[in-house]
Amino acid sequence: MNSSQRLRALIVDDEDLARRLVREYLQGHDDVEIVGECDNGLDAVKQIGALSPDLVFLDIQMPRLTGLEVLELTGRRAGVIFTTAYDEHAIKAFELHAVDYLLKPFSKARFDDALARARTLHAPAAPAGAGLDALVARRTAPLERILIRDREQVHVIPIDQVECIEAQGDYLAIHAEGKCHLKPQRISEIEEQLDANRFLRVHRSFIISLAHLQAIERPGPDRHAARLRSGKRVPISRSGYEKLRTLV
Amino acid sequence: MHPILADPRRLLWYELAWLAAGVGIATLLHLTGQAEWSGALEFALPICLVWSFVAVSSYYVCRSLPWSQRRWPVALGLFGGVSMLAALGWLGLGEAWDSLGGLLLRGKPFVALSSPGWMMYFAAGFALYLLSLLAHDVLVAFESVQAAARREAESRVLARDAELQMLRTQINPHFLFNSLNSISALTGFDPAAAREMTVDLAQFFRRTLALAERERITLGEEVTLCGHFLAIEKRRFGAKLQADLRVSAEAAACLLPPMTLQPLLENAIKHGIRQVDGGGTIAVDAGVRDGALHIAVVNPVAPDDAPANAHGVGLKNIHERLAVLYGPRARIVWQRSPTQFAIEIHLPVDKESGA
Repeated sequence: MNSSQRLRALIVDDEDLARRLVREYLQGHDDVEIVGECDNGLDAVKQIGALSPDLVFLDIQMPRLTGLEVLELTGRRAGVIFTTAYDEHAIKAFELHAVDYLLKPFSKARFDDALARARTLHAPAAPAGAGLDALVARRTAPLERILIRDREQVHVIPIDQVECIEAQGDYLAIHAEGKCHLKPQRISEIEEQLDANRFLRVHRSFIISLAHLQAIERPGPDRHAARLRSGKRVPISRSGYEKLRTLV
Repeated sequence: MHPILADPRRLLWYELAWLAAGVGIATLLHLTGQAEWSGALEFALPICLVWSFVAVSSYYVCRSLPWSQRRWPVALGLFGGVSMLAALGWLGLGEAWDSLGGLLLRGKPFVALSSPGWMMYFAAGFALYLLSLLAHDVLVAFESVQAAARREAESRVLARDAELQMLRTQINPHFLFNSLNSISALTGFDPAAAREMTVDLAQFFRRTLALAERERITLGEEVTLCGHFLAIEKRRFGAKLQADLRVSAEAAACLLPPMTLQPLLENAIKHGIRQVDGGGTIAVDAGVRDGALHIAVVNPVAPDDAPANAHGVGLKNIHERLAVLYGPRARIVWQRSPTQFAIEIHLPVDKESGA
C-alpha cells in the first residue's frame, strides 16, 4: 500500500456510540483520516458535497434522509461502506449488486476487511462503482417521496402531493402544490420507480398522478388532454389515451 | 350456488332418488289397478326427472327460514302451503304429460287415471315436495354447521397471527442489533456502562417474555419494563432523549394488557425524538379520573416531517388490540400539531381481585 495516499473518511450515523465505534476501529489505520461526522442524512448530503471524502461510512436508517437517499442526492457512486443493524430489503439489494456493507454489531476483523477492499477500490486503476449505480437506480419498493437538491437545500416532496411530472430537456419539472421543482433525471427512469397504480405516462414528456386527474377533455378530433384538480391541462398522446382508458 | 346443482356427485344421487320415487309411483298405480305397468313407468319416470329440478327450489324455501329464527307454526304453515302449491303444479304437469305425451308417443294417454287415481297422484306430489323440503332443511343445517366450524378455524388463525405479530414487535430486530452495537462501542471506553446496558437489555427481554404470557399486568409492571427500555434507548441516543414519567400510585395498580405503553414509547422515539434535531422529552402521564385509567404520551416531532405511514400502522395495531379486548369501553385518541404528537388511552379501571 502506498503510504502517501491517505484516505479521507466521513462517518454518518445518528447514534453517537455507533460513530464512536467506527472511530475506534479506525485508530489503528494511520492511512485513514476522519474529516467529519454527521448525525443525519441532510447534513451528510452537505458534508459529502463540501468535503468530497474518499470514503463514507453510511448508516441506512437515519432521520430526515436514508443512506440510499443520500447517495441519490449526492450522485456519489463509489467509496461507500454501508452500516446497518437490520434492513432485509437493503441487504438483499447489497448482495445483488455486490456492494459492501457492515452488519451491526460488527467485529474489528470484518471492519478491517471492508476497509482493505475500499482501499483497493480507491486505487487509481479501480473500476467505477457500477453496483452502487444500479442499487440507487433500481429500488425495489415504489417511490414514496421525491427528493430535490437545490444548492444547499433539500426538498422532500411526498408522492401524493405530486400532480404531474414533465420532461424538460435533461430535467424533470415536478409539479406539486402549485410549485414546480426541477430535478436532473430522465422521465423513463422515474417512471420505473413510481407506483404504476398511481401514476401513468400519458405522453412522451408527461406523467400524471391518477389521484389528481379530474377529467379527460377532447379539444379536437383525435386529440385528448387531461385536466388535473389544480386546473392544469396536460396533453395525452394516442397510446397514452389507450392506457388511460383501460385504467379509468 | 345451490349445494346439489353445484356438485355433480350430489346431483347424481339426487336424480337417482327421484327415479326411485318414479318407480314407486308407477308401482303404486299398478298395484292399485289404476294403470298397467309399462304405461305407469312411461308416465311417472319422465315426470319425476323434470320435477326433480322444480323441487330444488325447496332449498331457497329452507334458507328463508334459518334454524336460529324459526318459529314452528310459521315453518309448518309455510312448508305445508308451499307443498300444496307444488302439488298443484305437479298435478298439472301429470295431466298434461299423460294426454299430450301419450298422444304423441302412443296415440293414447299413458295411464288415463280415474279421479281417485289423480287424488292419489296429487297426494304423492305433496308428500314428495314435503320430503324434498325436509331433506334440504337437513342439508342447510349441515352447511351452516360446517360454515361455523370454518369461521372458528379462521378466527383461531387470526388470533395466532396477532400473537406472532406481538412477539415480533417485542423482539424488534432494529432495537436488538443497534443495542448490541452500542454495547460493543461502550466496551472500548466505558466497560461499566457496557455492563449496565447488557443487564438492562437482558432484563427488558426477560420481562417481556414473562409478561407477554399473561393476559393482564399492572401498569406498574409495565412501567418497570419501560424503565429498562428507556435506559437502553438513552444510552443509544444520549442527551437527545429525555423521559418524564408520572404515574400515580392508583394508576400503577390498574390492570391492562401487556405491552400497551411500551409500543407508544417506541413510536415516540422512532417517529419523534429521533427525527428532531437536539431531541426532546417524552412525557408520560398516567392517572385515574372519573373511574377510568388515562395514559397520555406526548413527544416532540420534526415540523417538516410528513406524517409517516409507519406511525399510522403502529397506532392502528394498538387500537385494534384494545378494541378486541375492551370493545367500546376503551378509547384511544391522538393528535398531531406541527411540533408535537400527543396520544391518550382511556381504559376501564380494572384491579386485581382483593386489591
